[in-house]
Amino acid sequence: MSAGHDREFPAEGPKAGSAVVRMMLGAQLRRFREAAEITPEAAAWRIRAHRSKISRLENGRIGFKGRDVSDLLEFYGVTDPQIAAGMLELAGQANAQAWWAKYGDILPSWFEPYLGLEASAQRIRTFDLQFVHGLLQTEAYARAVTMIGLRRAAASEIDRRVSVRMRRQKLLTAADPPRVWSILDEAALRRPVGSPAVMREQLRRLTEVAALPDVTLQIVPFHAGAHDGAGGSFTVLRFAEPDVPDVVYIEQLAGAQYLEKPADADRYLDVINRLSATALNPDHTIGFLTGMINDM
Amino acid sequence: MTSQDAAAGGPHSDTPDRAGEPPSFDTSVAHPARVYDYLLGGKDNYEADREAAEEIIAIGPSVLPTVRANRAFLRRAVQYLAGEAGIRQFLDIGTGLPTADNTHEVAQAIAPESRIVYVDNDPIVLAHARALLTSTPEGATHYVEANAQDTASILRKAAETLDFSQPVAVMLLMVLQYIPDSADPHQIVSALMDAVPPGSYLTMSDTTRDIDTEQMTTAAARYNARLGPNRFTPRTREEIAGFFDGLDLVDPGLVPLPQWRALANPAKPIPAYAGIGRKP
Repeated sequence: MSAGHDREFPAEGPKAGSAVVRMMLGAQLRRFREAAEITPEAAAWRIRAHRSKISRLENGRIGFKGRDVSDLLEFYGVTDPQIAAGMLELAGQANAQAWWAKYGDILPSWFEPYLGLEASAQRIRTFDLQFVHGLLQTEAYARAVTMIGLRRAAASEIDRRVSVRMRRQKLLTAADPPRVWSILDEAALRRPVGSPAVMREQLRRLTEVAALPDVTLQIVPFHAGAHDGAGGSFTVLRFAEPDVPDVVYIEQLAGAQYLEKPADADRYLDVINRLSATALNPDHTIGFLTGMINDM
Repeated sequence: MTSQDAAAGGPHSDTPDRAGEPPSFDTSVAHPARVYDYLLGGKDNYEADREAAEEIIAIGPSVLPTVRANRAFLRRAVQYLAGEAGIRQFLDIGTGLPTADNTHEVAQAIAPESRIVYVDNDPIVLAHARALLTSTPEGATHYVEANAQDTASILRKAAETLDFSQPVAVMLLMVLQYIPDSADPHQIVSALMDAVPPGSYLTMSDTTRDIDTEQMTTAAARYNARLGPNRFTPRTREEIAGFFDGLDLVDPGLVPLPQWRALANPAKPIPAYAGIGRKP
C-alpha cells in the first residue's frame, strides 16, 4: 500500500465514486475477516453464499446488502456500533444507482464494474493497439466498432450500446474531469474503421480532444519498431484515494480481467510507462494527426 | 510533408524523435524519484522502490515528515521567488514525478507568464512531466532529459525556453544529495550560477547527517545498497553552506528545512537544510 495511508494523508478531493467506495468497504471487510482469522469459505457460509461472493465483495466488484454487512461484522467480532453504522452508510453510498443501470440488459456483467471504476478514476491511462479508446471515439466510429462484434444484433441494441459509449464521454467535459492519458499505436489510426469518411472524422476528433487541458494523447509510431505493448490493449485506472490501488483492466472476447495486486499491476504500469517514453512527445500528436488527415 | 516529418521535432523538443530508442531504466532496483513518490503517498512506484522506502522508514521514520516538508518548502520558495523576488524564469533540476503543487503551478498561480524548464535524467519522470505538467497559455513549460552533472547540455537546451540575460531561479531540491563528492557537486552549482545573470537565485535543499548522525549513516548505507547506480550522500550543514559560496543568502539563511519562512515549527527536528541565495 501507499506509504501515505495511515500517516496523516487525508483523502481529499471530490467525493469518491461508488466503485471506489465499494473497494474501500470491501478492503475494510477483508481486514476485519483476516484479523478474526476467518476463512472466506466460513464467511460465505455465514451469509449463505458461495465463496466467490466473498472475494467479489472484498474486491468491491459487486454491491453490498446491508444485511450481509451487518452479519459479516457480527461474525468477525466487530461490535463497535459506530463502525457498523459507518460501514452501513458506506454500503448505502456504494449502492447508489448509476446512469448505466438502465442499460443492464445489454451490458455484459463483466463490463459493468469497469464503468463504475472509469467514472470514479482520477487518472485513466490507456494503451490501444487496434482501436481508438472508447472515451475518444466519434459516434460513427463507435457504431462501426460495435457492429464488428454484433453482426446479428438488432439495430436498437446497437443504438443502445453506442449511446452507453457516448454517455461515458461526458466524463471528459465534467466539472472536475479525470486526466485521460491515451497512448495509441499508429496501427489503430491507420486501420480504416467504418469508411474513409468515418476515419477522417475520427482523426479530426482526436486533434480536438488532444487539445483539451485534461487529455494527453501520445502516438507510438510504426518506426518505433516492436515495443513493450505487444501484449495488447489495456487501461490503468488511478484513484485519488491514497488507500485504493490502481486497477488494470484488460478486455477479452467474452470477459475481462481486473488486476489490482501490486505484483500484477506493477507489470502493466511498467509497460505503460515504457510506452509513454517510447511514444512521440504529446506536443507532436496534433501535427502527426493533421499530417495523416492531409495525406488521406 | 508527411505525418512523420510533422512529428519529428519542433522548437520545443529536446529529444526531437526518441521513438525507436528503447527507454533505458531499471525497475528492479530502487530509483530516487519513485522512492520519493512512495514516501509522499504516490502510486507511481514499484516493488523495489516500496521495499527501499519501507526500509528507510523503519530505520528513520523522520523521512516521512522530511519529504513532505521538502514539498512545502518548494511551495514557499517558489512563492517567494515569483512573488517578492519577481522571478519569471525557473530551471528546476531533478523534477521528480508530478505531485501536488509542482513548480510551474505555484509560479504560474502568481505570474501566469512564468517560464519553467524541468530537468530530469529518468525517461519515465520526463514522460510524466510532458503529459501532466502543462503550462498556462501565457507561460511555458519545457522538459530536458539530462543528468545534473551535464550542465553544458542543460544550459544549452534550457536556453531554448529561458532568456539567460534575465534572472533565473535555479532549483536543486534534494538533488545534490545524489551527487557524491567524486562527481564534484560544487562544479555543477558553479557552472549553473555562472550562466545566469546577477539577480538570479539558487534555491536548494538537501538531507543532512548532522541530525541523528548514526541513524542517517545506517539509513544511507541501506538505501545505497538498493539504489542501483545512484548514490545517496547526506552532508553536513557546513558542506551544504559551501554550495552558496559567492551568493547572498536570503533571510533567514540556510536553516533546517521546515523553518525557512514557515508559519509553524514541527515538533521533531527534520534532518535537512534549505536556503535561497541571490547572485550579487
